[in-house]
Amino acid sequence: MIWQFDFIILALALVCAVASISLKDLLSAAIVFGAYSFLMCLLWTEMGAVDVAFTEAAVGAGVSTVFFIAAVLHTSRQVKPRRHGRFFYKVIGGAAALVIGGILLAASADFPTWGDPASPASTHVSPHYILHSIPDTAVPNIVTSVLADYRGFDTMFETSVIFVAGLAVLAILGRFGRRQRDEEPAEFAAVPIAGQSPIIQTACRIFVPFMQLFALYVVAHGHHSPGGGFQGGVILAASFILIAISYDLRTMLGRLRERLNMLFASLGVMIYAGTGALCLLMGANFLDYSVLHHILPATSPIMARSHGMLAVEVGVAFTVMAVMVLIYVNIASHGKSDKGL
Amino acid sequence: MAELFAKYNYWIYIALMMIGLYAMIAKGNLAKKIIGMSIFQTAIIVFYVSIAAKTGGATIPIIAHGHEGAEHAVRVIDYVNPLPHVLMLTAIVVGVATLGVALAIAMSIHQRYGTMEEEEILEQIRE
Repeated sequence: MIWQFDFIILALALVCAVASISLKDLLSAAIVFGAYSFLMCLLWTEMGAVDVAFTEAAVGAGVSTVFFIAAVLHTSRQVKPRRHGRFFYKVIGGAAALVIGGILLAASADFPTWGDPASPASTHVSPHYILHSIPDTAVPNIVTSVLADYRGFDTMFETSVIFVAGLAVLAILGRFGRRQRDEEPAEFAAVPIAGQSPIIQTACRIFVPFMQLFALYVVAHGHHSPGGGFQGGVILAASFILIAISYDLRTMLGRLRERLNMLFASLGVMIYAGTGALCLLMGANFLDYSVLHHILPATSPIMARSHGMLAVEVGVAFTVMAVMVLIYVNIASHGKSDKGL
Repeated sequence: MAELFAKYNYWIYIALMMIGLYAMIAKGNLAKKIIGMSIFQTAIIVFYVSIAAKTGGATIPIIAHGHEGAEHAVRVIDYVNPLPHVLMLTAIVVGVATLGVALAIAMSIHQRYGTMEEEEILEQIRE
């Protein structure tokens, strides 16, 4: 670790955090918050958490900033000046922050030193993962093997939470019982829409296939390099969001219909839970992929665990991609899925 | 002096958490409250990630030359702790999904009351 680098990044992150909550213009606040996320991404890369940094770069600095901007453009952009101050709330908020911060500061004396290899978090269960990832599962990326195999239950329910969040956004903003649009939006692909820049559209058209190819690579290569279903799914969603921003929401929905998108969201959870159930049916524990070597073209139970992980990562990618697109479509169009930003 | 500043990183995480908590309580604008919630969440995530770090030449948690089989011995001290990374990786993606839900709720509040300011919403509810 390079402490000078850490210090600069952390100081800049503090500045960005203060700026993003004190700016009166919500669009600027959203952009500054995106910069804050990117600083966090740099900090995590430097700490060796490459998978986390990858996720934050795709999610925090990318998709969540877009969600914020879409929401701000559909509501009010400015924070209204107060007629009477929120003195009471400021006192309560300041007091709560100071008390909890003070307690934590007092407790920080007991924390292990930063980067201590003998800290409790690094000595109990994690050495097992580091030592056994290759012999048990043949997966060099330990984060992937812990994510999809050792702690597969955790990830399965996280995927379900994402799916439920997508349903919640649809229930809050979307309109249920709406029939699929009757007219086909095919003509939008050829005719540029007034007000949209042809430069951006051409650049986007060249860019999107490579983005999607890269996303598939990230999903498939997560065993050997940083990446996996979560990151790949978000990048895949970002490519669709890019189409929606540079062209039009209806052009994007012409490529990826809402009904198909919902199908993908539920398919992903089904692939994950189905892989687990398949293990159960074949006589092993839920999500114990080693038994799959009877049906997979894998040479051994160890390789079967590696292949089982790939199956659940694909499931995760489906759900994450579909839910991110779903949230964007509903926020950007206020649930109407017509014009978008 | 060195001991005093050995844990400065935790103090900055605590400061970030305090900024987020303050914004959630004291700010009247719903979008600002949501930004505060996200800052609070990031402070927790950065705390978790930092307890995974190891000094002394530890590298990213991907076994070097792992695809060639494990002929060489793997030493725990050479790799940072992967477990907090896994927990926080999923937390970030779940965080953006819940952020979407929070923004959706704020938008439907705006649609109904025509404002994002807490006080004006409360005034309209009381009427």
